Amino acid sequence: MNFELSEEQKMLKKAAREFLENECPESVVRKAEDSDLGYPPELWKKAADLGWLGLIYPEKYGGIGMNILDMAILYEEMGRALFPSPHLSTVVLCGLAILEAGNEEQKASLLPRIARGELVMALALTEPEATWDGKGWLPQGVTMPATPEGNNYIINGVKLFVHDALAADYLLVATRTRKNRRAADGVTLFLVDAKSPGISYTVLRTTAGDKKQCEVVFDRVKVPAKNIVGKLHGGWPTLERVINIGAVLLSAQMVGSAEKAMEMAVEHAKTRVQFDMPIGIHNWVQEYCIMAFADVQGTRNLVYEAAWMLSEGIPCDLEVAMTKARANEACTDAHWQAHQVLAGVGFTTQDGVLPLHTKRGKVWQLYLGETDHWMEKVAQQIEKWPPPEKPKGKPLGIFNVPEDLQAPHWDVWANQIKNKGKLW
Amino acid sequence: MEFGFTKEQEKLRKELHDFYANELPEDISGVPALSKELQDFWMGLQRKAGKKGYLAPGWPKEWGGLGLGHIEVGIANEEEGYWGIAWPDGIGLHIVGPGLHLFGTEEQKKRFLPEISSGEKVWYECFTEPEAGTDEANQQTRAVKQGDKWVINGQKIYITGGYKPDWLYVEARTADTIPKHRGLTLFCVKADTPGVTVTALPCMGGYRANIFYFDNVEVGDDAIVGQINQGFYHVMATFEFERSNTAGAARAKRELQELIQFCRETKRNGKPLIKDPMVRRALAKMAIDIEVLRLAAWRTAWRFGERKRLGPLDFDLTGLFSRLNAMSHPNLKMDILGTYGQLRMGSKYAKLDGSIERGWQVTRSYHYAGTMEAIKIVLAGRVLGLPRIPAKLNTTIMKALQEKEK
Ligand SMILES: Cc1cc2nc3c(=O)[nH]c(=O)nc-3n(C[C@H](O)[C@H](O)[C@H](O)COP(=O)(O)OP(=O)(O)OC[C@H]3O[C@@H](n4cnc5c(N)ncnc54)[C@H](O)[C@@H]3O)c2cc1C
Ligand SMILES: Cc1cc2nc3c(=O)[nH]c(=O)nc-3n(C[C@H](O)[C@H](O)[C@H](O)COP(=O)(O)OP(=O)(O)OC[C@H]3O[C@@H](n4cnc5c(N)ncnc54)[C@H](O)[C@@H]3O)c2cc1C
Repeated sequence: MNFELSEEQKMLKKAAREFLENECPESVVRKAEDSDLGYPPELWKKAADLGWLGLIYPEKYGGIGMNILDMAILYEEMGRALFPSPHLSTVVLCGLAILEAGNEEQKASLLPRIARGELVMALALTEPEATWDGKGWLPQGVTMPATPEGNNYIINGVKLFVHDALAADYLLVATRTRKNRRAADGVTLFLVDAKSPGISYTVLRTTAGDKKQCEVVFDRVKVPAKNIVGKLHGGWPTLERVINIGAVLLSAQMVGSAEKAMEMAVEHAKTRVQFDMPIGIHNWVQEYCIMAFADVQGTRNLVYEAAWMLSEGIPCDLEVAMTKARANEACTDAHWQAHQVLAGVGFTTQDGVLPLHTKRGKVWQLYLGETDHWMEKVAQQIEKWPPPEKPKGKPLGIFNVPEDLQAPHWDVWANQIKNKGKLW
Repeated sequence: MEFGFTKEQEKLRKELHDFYANELPEDISGVPALSKELQDFWMGLQRKAGKKGYLAPGWPKEWGGLGLGHIEVGIANEEEGYWGIAWPDGIGLHIVGPGLHLFGTEEQKKRFLPEISSGEKVWYECFTEPEAGTDEANQQTRAVKQGDKWVINGQKIYITGGYKPDWLYVEARTADTIPKHRGLTLFCVKADTPGVTVTALPCMGGYRANIFYFDNVEVGDDAIVGQINQGFYHVMATFEFERSNTAGAARAKRELQELIQFCRETKRNGKPLIKDPMVRRALAKMAIDIEVLRLAAWRTAWRFGERKRLGPLDFDLTGLFSRLNAMSHPNLKMDILGTYGQLRMGSKYAKLDGSIERGWQVTRSYHYAGTMEAIKIVLAGRVLGLPRIPAKLNTTIMKALQEKEK
């Protein structure tokens, strides 16, 4: 047991904090809201120069070979600064899927370009009906058919809530290529040029007020069979794994954002004076700060544990599920607490960064699995827990005596219980 | 960062695990320890564990411990928690022992520590008074020096214990000071000293507490722990020393395992309870809360290992999370049992041996060793640096009150 960041991790954290404080102030976040790309390309390029885009890829694909725990530390900082970027979509969800399941040619051609910041990708997974049925992040939710036609496949259907679709050069598209089997068997991943004929995009107006999410309509889009990533019909395990990793990193991002909101609340509580005293002197205001603090610290431990297990290759479906389920609640809760403390200034959207956090927090809560989804995953895991172990010593037959029938031992008690009425 | 344990640590866990598995009777259930047979059993086990050094694994070998580090102590705590063990002398092991380590004289250490670590004795903590709960420094029990004796007079309330005590760890006023924290002193008082009397104070769930009266109780200078008038600070320092509680989460997890087993075996409307979405949700919530608590406790254990005690900017959220869980979990569990939830141990239809009902009652006590609010006050002031009502203002108010009384 050791909760200390390594020297390398501390350096990464410090460098990320400094870089984002300088390069990604509130104004940058606001400006990105209005752009189609959703992020400033200069900033993306600088992130590439810092090695953030290839952080977890092996060196031979242009990466620097760090692990998911390192990445989680970076994601906390990105959440804190609300770093507008397609990092999660490109580097994690699509990039890691390619790294895990892609063939050598795909890996060699795509990953170094991602690492250099030359390629943006988006994951097209959830579908309208599936999302409504609560199967958005389950294999049952993938129904959009890809039908073979010569050396090509024809994709036809609608994908919803596709993050970073407008910015993407390629889409990684989950399709159904085989039915009537287990849902997890028959999902195929395709690498689709985002500008292919037949694809159209409609921006979804969301809480965040940006243009990050789209409906993507595939109207008989033709994709060469060589663009399959991984095995035909065998895409789900890869997706499941990248969703797990993505959910943990997104949780790290939510912790970072929650921590920033908590710090703003504490700072405000110390400096805002009403009734001739700092408002932070009142237990109620302290309560908001403390609960936000507990949200942050409690969830951070979960994130680190899950990220560590993922990095070490230890099975951790339970820990991942716990992490995202709790982060979903904790992040929105911390934002809420901050709003209580900031009151009027926290509600205005023109100045003040809190609403930016709050609104993104809501979007992140609903992304890569809502609370219901992950709570059910937790239930599926703990359902398998064995009953507790029974002790093996010889039975004594002295238990199971209702307390009012027990013969008291210590004289004080004995006498007093005998003379009940008198002494009490 | 590392969330696993070393091979040696796993070996220690197995050793403790097997020891308790073999020592605890197979028909055990977590009844409040009151009957003679039960108390004899637990005292016997305490002595057995003491002989092996398991009671105080973190203490140096010369004082009867195993000289192990904080992570190892955390492992020992987890095993105690898993097997539902609450040592009769929890106070001696966790409050008095550390206090003596920090502030006791060499003589006191020699006299008391081996007795405590070998599980021979039972100590009670006598701090709280009717007028001094959260405001611990408000104690009115007095110790006055007369010749070479200290004479103690006063009353202590809510003092935990159903076992016969050997020693009392008493905090008493030795000076009238402003602020009042600066006039308290710690004493070791033999429980059968003339002038000590006691009244039982039965509590919810069969919990046993007491009121102690001190009527001209005489002790010598050698009874004083640490410095005169520094008792309050000694207690605070003790609380910050070696306090990691990994037992709570281990125990909670075991109880959840038990409940999950029950939900697998029990049907409602022809379907196992475990398939009911509301039940699943409640179980999942509890599992997450317990993991959050477990990690918070381990973080504190690790921190102590690094620093020996918590620094000013450090924090321990174990108390907060365990109190939050105590607020919601017993209700969630009772809801799962439905109407049967209210049945007590020994009732004809009681489920799970009435353990959930008992747990529900006992968790109403989760203000011992500091209320939720007291924990929050510390977090707000010490950790988050939020403003506090200035001490000066307190003093002004106190002076005004004293004037008024005159
Ligand atoms: C949508 C909106 C519409 C509004 N419309 C109007 C309007 O039409 N006309 C108008 O005049 N005003 C209006 N207001 C202002 C509103 O009345 C104030 O926002 C409100 O009174 C709180 O003041 P504040 O924002 O300065 O927060 P603060 O007073 O700074 O409070 C910050 C935090 O400290 C707490 N706090 C403060 N003092 C204490 C105390 N003694 N004990 C415990 N806690 C304390 C508060 O409860 C809050 O949690 C509006 C505000 C909003 C958000
Ligand atoms: C099961 C159990 C076992 C115990 N065992 C022992 C023992 O062995 N030895 C011993 O000495 N004591 C023991 N106690 C006593 C325990 O330490 C006290 O109950 C506790 O300190 C609270 O004191 P009180 O009950 O007088 O509540 P009070 O101090 O009267 O508090 C009442 C309420 O007011 C709140 N409050 C008080 N001051 C503030 C403040 N400044 N700001 C905000 N809120 C405040 C409290 O948090 C609480 O909610 C035990 C108590 C229990 C329940």
